[in-house]
Order: sequence, then structure tokens, then C-alpha cells
Amino acid sequence: MPALDIPDNDVIDHAAGLVPGDALHSARRFRAKVVEATQASHDALLEQPVGGLSTADRLRVAIHVCTLASATSLAQHYQARLAADAARDAPPAAALPAMLQFAAALTTDPRNGDRAAIDALRHAGLADPAIVALAQLVAFLSYQLRVVAGLKAMRASRGGTP
Amino acid sequence: MIRRNGFTDESLEWRSWLEPLRIADASPLQLEVLDESHAQSRTSPYYLTLAHQPLMLRHRSAAYNAIMYAPGGLPRAERELGAMVVSVTNGCVYCTSVHAQRFEQLAKRSDTVEQVFDNPASAGTSERERAIARFAIAVTERPHALGADDIAPLRAVAMTEEEIIDLLHAVAIFGWANRLMQNLGEPADTTT
Repeated sequence: MPALDIPDNDVIDHAAGLVPGDALHSARRFRAKVVEATQASHDALLEQPVGGLSTADRLRVAIHVCTLASATSLAQHYQARLAADAARDAPPAAALPAMLQFAAALTTDPRNGDRAAIDALRHAGLADPAIVALAQLVAFLSYQLRVVAGLKAMRASRGGTP
Repeated sequence: MIRRNGFTDESLEWRSWLEPLRIADASPLQLEVLDESHAQSRTSPYYLTLAHQPLMLRHRSAAYNAIMYAPGGLPRAERELGAMVVSVTNGCVYCTSVHAQRFEQLAKRSDTVEQVFDNPASAGTSERERAIARFAIAVTERPHALGADDIAPLRAVAMTEEEIIDLLHAVAIFGWANRLMQNLGEPADTTT
């Protein structure tokens, strides 16, 4: 098993309730590269500077998506991140309602995507690189919340012991 | 060639609704990330669109490539089966065509592909394939309600813990991939 040193701040581990030493925590490290790239994706999606898309607004989108999907532990993670964000009290971008609408449609059913939804984001003032960042964030959250849900189910099938 | 219910295993093109990056305008980082993501990414509208955010693309590609191609664990044909079932369930015609082809290349048969196009919920030529297809649908449609009952059928077909993790990753990352393909552009027939 790869002995890659992954610090104990992995978002999926926290959300799924896995701690170092658990059998499932170790089994997940069978794919250490996936664990590492998933966490790096999370960090890049939230922390990379993007014109017109503040970290606080990205966190608001993440909270909205996780709440809609009933991904409670992840919603709490993003709420805690927002509470700790220096810009939490600054007013959200005027484009936030359009961003939340796009995120909700995409999360509920990916078939909802169409050219009109992209045009609505452009009209709200988002440039194409910001739209790519928003779509990547929402699509990533669909992946992340499913990995968390699957790991929780695996833990339950071991009789509750991770 | 298989064509059923709007799905096909023929090669399709994909058109972006955004302005893909022009290679002449690409930064050194963007070129580096394009080259590490996929062999044909410099001419792919999909990768050129995602290259507007190179670090997001870099880590997405690292996750995707490790999930779908890493040796050991779940046989690659079974990862492709999971990817194909999710893509059909989400209605992603483009991803379905790519992963139907990959399954056929790895498994050297197409009977399962026809079944998935017809009805993923009953698809599979063996108990193991049926368990994979049902798990892929459950993760896609009701992640909030997954439980031990969804894992038991995988254990019943002798899947190891590592194989279940591989399947979960393959199925979950198509929740990511399908949403990009379906919301940033659309498939186009290669003949048009």
C-alpha cells in the first residue's frame, strides 16, 4: 500500500467520518493518487483566484448544492469555510442568483444544461473563464458528495465500524 | 455499430458553447496542463474549454486518469461499465459513446452495451455485471439514501474493499464528467 503522507485535513475523510487507523481510511489509500488529486481539486476550485467569482460566492454555491443534495456533513464543511472567510460580510456578486440557479439545475439533473443557461450567466456578467470555474465547481461537488455517500454506506455495511 | 434509444457506440464530436482557448493564446502553464491531461487535448474543444482554468483541469485530470486507468483493483472493463451506466442514466450521449467503445475494446464484446442502452436497470450478462449496473444507478440517482443494502450485492459477487472503492470512484467521477459535457456544450455527429 502506498505510504503517501496525507495530512489529516482531508475533506472527504472528515465528511465521511474516517480517521487514520480505520480500516476504511486505509482502504481508501489504496488509491492515494485519487485521494490527493480529489483534495487538490477541492483546493484549486475554491482558492484559485477567478475574476468575477469570489471564494465567498463559490462557498455559497457549494453550500446551496450540498444542501439541495442532502449532503449534510459537506454542507457543514462549506458553511464553516464561509464563516472563516475574511470576505464573508462583503456583499455577494450581482451574478450570485444566476450562479445559484445554474448550480441547482446542474445538481438536480444534468440534462437541464442548455445554451440558454450559459447565456444567462454571461448576461449576469460572468466571463467564459469564470463560467468554466463555476461549472467545474458544481460538477466536482456532484462527485465529492457521491464519494462521501458511498464511503458512509461502506462503513455502515461493516456494521458501523469504519 | 449499436444505435438504440438515442445512444450510440459510434464516435461523436463535441461542440463547446463557450469560446475554447486558442492555442496561440495559451500560457506555458495551460500548454503543460493540456499535454498532461490527454494525448489529443490541443485539438479538443472540450479540453481547450476547460484549459481556461488550468489548475482545476490539472487536478481533475490527475483524479480522472488515476480512477480510470490505474493498474490493479477493479478490472478496467468493469470501471468502463460503471462509467457507461452512469452516462446513460444521466442522458450524456457523448460520454456514453466514448465509454461504450472503451468497454468493447477491453471486454472484446458488445452484448452488455446493447443491454445498457436498452435498460441499464436490468443490464448485465452476469450477476457481477448486474450488481455493478445497479450500484452505478443508485449512486447516480439517490446518493443521499445509499446504505449497507447497496454494498451487500457487491460483496455477494466477491468484490474486495479495494474493488468497491474503485467502482465508487469510477461511478462518482462520471457525475462530474457528464455534467461538464452536458452543460458546457453538446455532441455533434462527425458526419455533420
